Amino acid sequence: MTSPVRIAITGLGVFCAAGKDSAAYRASLLNGVSAIGPLELFDTTGFPSRIAAQIKDFQPEELFSPQERRHLSRTDQIALLAAQEAVAMSGLTQAYDPYEVGICIGGGVGGMLHAEQWLQAELAGQPASPGLLRTLLPDCSTTALARAFGFGGYQGSITTACSSSATAIGWSADLIRSGRQQAMLCGGADALARLTFAGFNALKVLDPQPCAPFSAGRQGLSLGEGAAFFVLEEEQAALARGARILGYLLGYALLGEAHHMTAPEPSGMMAAAVMQAALAAAGVTTDQVGWINAHGTGTPLNDAVESQAVKQVFGQRALQVPLVSTKPITGHCLGAAGAIEALATLLCLNQGMIPQTLHFRGPDPECDLEYCHGGSRASSSRIALSNSFAFGGNITSLVLEAAPPGGEVRP
Amino acid sequence: MSRFACPIALTGLGVISSAGIGLDAALTAVQSGTSCLKPVPAELTNSRQQHLWGPADQFKAADFIAPLKARKLDRASQMAVAATGLALADAGLDKGQYRAGQIGIALGCGFGGIVNSAELLGGYFKQGVPGLSPMLFPNTVANAAASNTSIEYGLQGPNITFIQRFCSAESAILAACRFLEEGRADIMLAGGVDELNPLMIRAFSANGQLQRAAAGFGEGAGILVLERGDHAAQRTVRVRAELVSIETIGYLLPGLAEQGLERLTRNTADCRVGMLSGVAPRGLELEQHLRHLRLQQPGLLLGRSLAMGGTVAALLTAQLGPGEQGLQLAASPEGPFYSLVLQGGPAE
Repeated sequence: MTSPVRIAITGLGVFCAAGKDSAAYRASLLNGVSAIGPLELFDTTGFPSRIAAQIKDFQPEELFSPQERRHLSRTDQIALLAAQEAVAMSGLTQAYDPYEVGICIGGGVGGMLHAEQWLQAELAGQPASPGLLRTLLPDCSTTALARAFGFGGYQGSITTACSSSATAIGWSADLIRSGRQQAMLCGGADALARLTFAGFNALKVLDPQPCAPFSAGRQGLSLGEGAAFFVLEEEQAALARGARILGYLLGYALLGEAHHMTAPEPSGMMAAAVMQAALAAAGVTTDQVGWINAHGTGTPLNDAVESQAVKQVFGQRALQVPLVSTKPITGHCLGAAGAIEALATLLCLNQGMIPQTLHFRGPDPECDLEYCHGGSRASSSRIALSNSFAFGGNITSLVLEAAPPGGEVRP
Repeated sequence: MSRFACPIALTGLGVISSAGIGLDAALTAVQSGTSCLKPVPAELTNSRQQHLWGPADQFKAADFIAPLKARKLDRASQMAVAATGLALADAGLDKGQYRAGQIGIALGCGFGGIVNSAELLGGYFKQGVPGLSPMLFPNTVANAAASNTSIEYGLQGPNITFIQRFCSAESAILAACRFLEEGRADIMLAGGVDELNPLMIRAFSANGQLQRAAAGFGEGAGILVLERGDHAAQRTVRVRAELVSIETIGYLLPGLAEQGLERLTRNTADCRVGMLSGVAPRGLELEQHLRHLRLQQPGLLLGRSLAMGGTVAALLTAQLGPGEQGLQLAASPEGPFYSLVLQGGPAE
C-alpha cells in the first residue's frame, strides 16, 4: 500500500465553534479555549446535557442571499464557508482541468436540522414547507461545493458516522494516487441537530459538563458542529504550479471492527490495527510519530480502549507519545470531526506544539498515558496520527506530516 | 484497457428486489419486461394522481436472520445482511473460510437510517425526552447497513458507506476496486441497499419528487463479491465478470459538456449491452457517444433507488456472454455520472 506518490496539502479551511477560519482556530488550539457552552440552536428542555460547541454569532443572512439560504442547509453553509478558505489558500481554481478536480465530503446529519421541522409539523398534522426537505441528505453539500467552485471531477459523500471525514480525506488521497484526479477538495461538514443531540442524550453518553477525555469521572462527550477542508494534490504537481505546501497526508487506513454498533472492540486490538495499517501505508515507523490526536470522545469505554490500543502500537514508547484530544475545544463534530481534528493536528504540527487536553478532573487508572492534561507543550515532531473511531466500528487513522521548513503559510 | 492495476473479478451476486429474492427473480422480470411496481396507497400521497412504487414485499427478514437479531436491525440492514449472504454463497465463500482482516465492505446507502431517525424524533416530538428510545439511535446512521453486515459476517477489512445521489452504489464499487488494487483487502463486498417506507413517500409527495426523480421508487439490495483476479484464481472460483474500467464525472460543466461526456464514455466502444442505473439524465447528449447501445432501464420495472447500482451490475453481469463487454451508466438528474464497463467471464 505504500506509494511513492506524496500527497501534499496546499489549502485548508475551517468554520467551527472554535474558530471561523484557520487563524482563529489555531489560536483556540494554542490557547486551549473551549467552545463548549449552552446550546441555543433549538430547545434543550428536559435533556440531561444541555451544552454543545455551537457556532455562535453566525448570521447566514449576512453571508448568503435568500435564494442561497433556501437551497443550502446549515451544514451546506458551513461547508461552503470552510471550503472557500481552503480553495482560496490553495490557488487551485484554474490550476487544473476542472474535470481533474474532485470533491469528497464526510458528512453526518446533512440537512436534518431543517427536515426535523417538516417532520414535527407532519406528525402534528400541520402544514410544513416542503423546502425543508430539500437538502436532507449529506450529498447536497458535495453538490453545492462542486457548483460553487466549478469543479467537475469526482463527487463523493462518505457517511461512516464519526469517521466520515477522516475517511473522506484518506479516500481523496487514494483518488489522486490512483491517477483518477489531480486534485481533491476534501473534508467534512456536520451541523448540530435535534436527532443527534436527542439520540446521544438517550444513550446517556453526553456529559452534562464540558467533556473531559481521559479524566476520572468523565461521563461522555460534548457535541459540536463545523466544517473543515483540505486541498490535496500530488506534491510534484503542486510544486510545479508554484503552490505552497502546508503539509502532507502520508497515509491512512480504514477498517471495520465487526464487533458492535456502538461499543468499541474492548481489547483495543482493532484500534491498534488501524493505526498500524495507517503507519504502514505511510511508510512511517512508530519512532517517527510524535503524538496522536485521539478520537478521545470522553466516554469511559472509548478513552480506555484507545489508551490500550496506543500501548499495543507503541509499546514501551507509548508514554513518550502524547495522546491528546481536541474535542474539549471543538466539541465532537461527528461527521466533520475527522477533518476538524486532522486540521488541528496539522496546524499544531506546523506550530511545533502539542495541544492540551482540557477539562482534567483527575487521573483515571485506565488512562495511564500522557494526555497533556497539564497544558500544551512544544514539540519538534513532524509526524502525528489523527484517529477517528465511529458507530458501527468504522475506524480510520490518518498520518500527517508538517509542512517543509519555510513552506507553511499563516493565514 | 483496464483502468485498474490488477484484474478485478466479480465472483458472487446477491439481489433482493421488488421482483423477489435472488438474481433470477429480478432477471426474469427485466428480460420479460414485467413491471414489479404497484400503486402507492392513495392516503400516502394526498393526490388523485396514481403513483407507483416498488417495495420488496417478498423479503422476510426471518428467512435469513434469527428473529432476536433481526429485531435489532433496521430494514436496510436486514436486506444488506440477507443479500450479502446470498452473494457470499454464490461466490462459494462460507463464513470462517476467509481471513477477516482481508475482506471488507463498501456500500451505497441512500435513505438508510431515515426510518429510525424519524421514529426516534417522532417519540421526542410527541412525548418530549421521555419519548426517546435509545434502541433506535444506533441504526439512524447511514453506515448501519454495512456495519451490521460486517458484524454478521466478521468483515474486518475496509468498511465504507457512500451516499451520492443515484450513484451511491457505483461510488462504493469504485472504492472497493481501489481497496483491492491497493491490497487493502483480498475480497470486497460492494453494492447498494435502500429501503422504502410510507414516511419517505409522504415526503416525496410533499416536495414534488414523486413526479420527478422519486417516481417509481423502489427498495432492495444488490451486493457483489469482488476479488483481485489472482485471489479468485487461487481459490479456483468461477469468475462471472471482470470490472474493466470505471469512469466518473461530477457534473457537466457549462461550455465543457462534450469533454465531460468523452471522459465518461471513453472505454465504452466495445460494449454490446448497456443498462442505466438511476435516472435518465436531462440534457445529456449521450446518443452520439453511445449510439451503438440501447440502454435498458431495469429501474423502470423494479423501482429506482439511490443505491440500485449493485442490482444493475448484477443484472448486467447475468446478460454478458464470455468476453462480451457491457456498460452500466449511472446517472442522477444533474450529476454525478458513472460508467462501469464489465466483461463477461469465461464459460463454465
